[in-house]
Amino acid sequence: MNPQANLIFIASLLLGTTITISSNHWITAWMGLEINTLAILPLISKSHHPRAIEAATKYFLTQAAASTLVLFSSMTNAWCTGQWDITQLTHPTSCLILTSAVAMKLGLVPFHFWFPEVLQGSPLTTGLLLSTIMKLPPITLLYMTSPSLNPTLLTTLAIFSTALGGWMGLNQTQVRKILAFSSISHLGWMAIIIIYNPKLTLLNFYLYTMMTAAVFLTLNTIKVLKLSTLMTTWTKIPSLNAMLLLTLLSLAGLPPLTGFLPKWLIIQELTKQDMAPAAMLISLLSLLSLFFYLRLAYCTAITLPPHTTNHMKQWRTNKPTNITIAMLITMSIMLLPISPMIFAAI
Amino acid sequence: MALAVMLLDGASFHSACCRHKVLLSSLGPLLSNSKLYSSYRRPGAEPEKKLSWQNADFSLKKSIDHLKTHLSLLKKETQDYLKGPGGNPLSQHLLEQTRVLWQFRSQEDLNKWVISSDVEIGGKSKVYIKLGRNNQAAVLYGTLNTEVPRDGETKYSGYCSMKSRPEVGSFNRKKYYDWSNFNSLYLRVRGDGRPWMVNIYTDPYFSHQKDDLYSYFMFTRGGPYWEEITIPFSKFFLSSRGRVQDNQHPVWLDKVRTLGFTIGDKVDGPFQLEIDFIGLLNDRAHKEKFAYEVYDKNTPV
Repeated sequence: MNPQANLIFIASLLLGTTITISSNHWITAWMGLEINTLAILPLISKSHHPRAIEAATKYFLTQAAASTLVLFSSMTNAWCTGQWDITQLTHPTSCLILTSAVAMKLGLVPFHFWFPEVLQGSPLTTGLLLSTIMKLPPITLLYMTSPSLNPTLLTTLAIFSTALGGWMGLNQTQVRKILAFSSISHLGWMAIIIIYNPKLTLLNFYLYTMMTAAVFLTLNTIKVLKLSTLMTTWTKIPSLNAMLLLTLLSLAGLPPLTGFLPKWLIIQELTKQDMAPAAMLISLLSLLSLFFYLRLAYCTAITLPPHTTNHMKQWRTNKPTNITIAMLITMSIMLLPISPMIFAAI
Repeated sequence: MALAVMLLDGASFHSACCRHKVLLSSLGPLLSNSKLYSSYRRPGAEPEKKLSWQNADFSLKKSIDHLKTHLSLLKKETQDYLKGPGGNPLSQHLLEQTRVLWQFRSQEDLNKWVISSDVEIGGKSKVYIKLGRNNQAAVLYGTLNTEVPRDGETKYSGYCSMKSRPEVGSFNRKKYYDWSNFNSLYLRVRGDGRPWMVNIYTDPYFSHQKDDLYSYFMFTRGGPYWEEITIPFSKFFLSSRGRVQDNQHPVWLDKVRTLGFTIGDKVDGPFQLEIDFIGLLNDRAHKEKFAYEVYDKNTPV
């Protein structure tokens, strides 16, 4: 892509995110969301393939509708209470509309239908941006308005997101769609705890961003889009392949790895808040997503010769792995022992 | 002043009168029984005697049967979902190298395909489909006639085609084929030497893409021997409404809706194509990703 155009799009993405997360007034927050939406559209439709254009159109329609709802909720609140401050959103209707608007922006059930298709139609690096940076402004808005939001609604959305993210990811063979469903189920975990301890939502988001970035960048290095291609990656970069296995298990939330930390803390907080059944339900539902993470891990690392694979064996590359990937993978596997330091920092 | 009032009265009376006429003329199409948008009918289309809303059937028994059928389809879909991708276990998805999609052994298999020709625009070609000898193949045969229908707007004519019916799941939801494991189409045919075009139609979510078609050619030999033709998916080019596009893209195989064969080689006369089966192949020796140039061709100097 034209480097100047790329610079403008990336800079606009960063600008939009910064505007939203640092704003006090609803109009600036909405402005940042719109800048983000518009800036990422050319990145999604970069290749001009009909499916990429379709993904960009779907993304634009849902995000524009969600931004409209954000504006509508803030205007309703301003009309009834006179407040434009984001933290002062108190009117119940406004909170309801804002929750559904943010659910649409993030891809929480029942507004999740656009997410797998958009991720499937976009290139892997743009998929990374969609799963990580584009989620930060809406989560910030939820964080700032969390005291006034309806707990029942958020818990329902969260449990359904974890359930559907798990069920619908079960039969996917396209890796980008699997990562979309993993994102939906992680968002469920983030949404369930936001009323009780919003800092845990942010912690979950940061760790999820780190692990997802590691996975996406690894998949981009080994150029994998389908499950059958994943099976021959051990020929390309064997060490990265082994690390991908561990990163996927970390994303699934298995204990000695970093991904366990947010899940543990969320379950602990939910139990303290007398929501043990919700905690039990959400942990059982994330077993479904564990199934497809294990399937990805199986296809990555456990299918070695003499298993036959369906994809052409690829040449080993001599290119050294990017240092960013190495750092992200290290952090996403080994951060659990320093969790007291993380508690102090959040 | 009185004059102004009289003029105003006159104007309102006149406009009321004109409004009545205008109203009648706008109600005209509604009062007559023709379509609101156009009453031009293409020569091959049949005249509509019954309006579409008169076809609705409100019987309770029929709707309950319909509901039962769809619920059983939904149950079957859920069971297939629990087995693995595409209703088969994952190991089959990961290891399969060939798959037979359509095999012509009975009338049911023929019913999965739709034949059409230029009769729908007023042409004179004929096309028929039947089962071949010993129910071993489908025979698509007919006569191509390139005589242009005289309706003042058609310039070309003479085509016949056979297209698979799009798959429909429970509650009339669209189902797609996932061919991403494979890289070639494998056909066992016996033609008559005429060139055919193979068309793949992928999911058009938005209506802008509903005319997008990926096509490639199938050249048949006329002989008495069966031919096994392999067409790699990397060779399919993108066309929209029949015009080959400048920006070419490879066909994405994860959401394929229908496959079709068309003959339109501008030669009048009979044609025949026998198809034994249509399948997919993962050709390990075929390494080409896409056969057409993907780099930007119109860069300003």
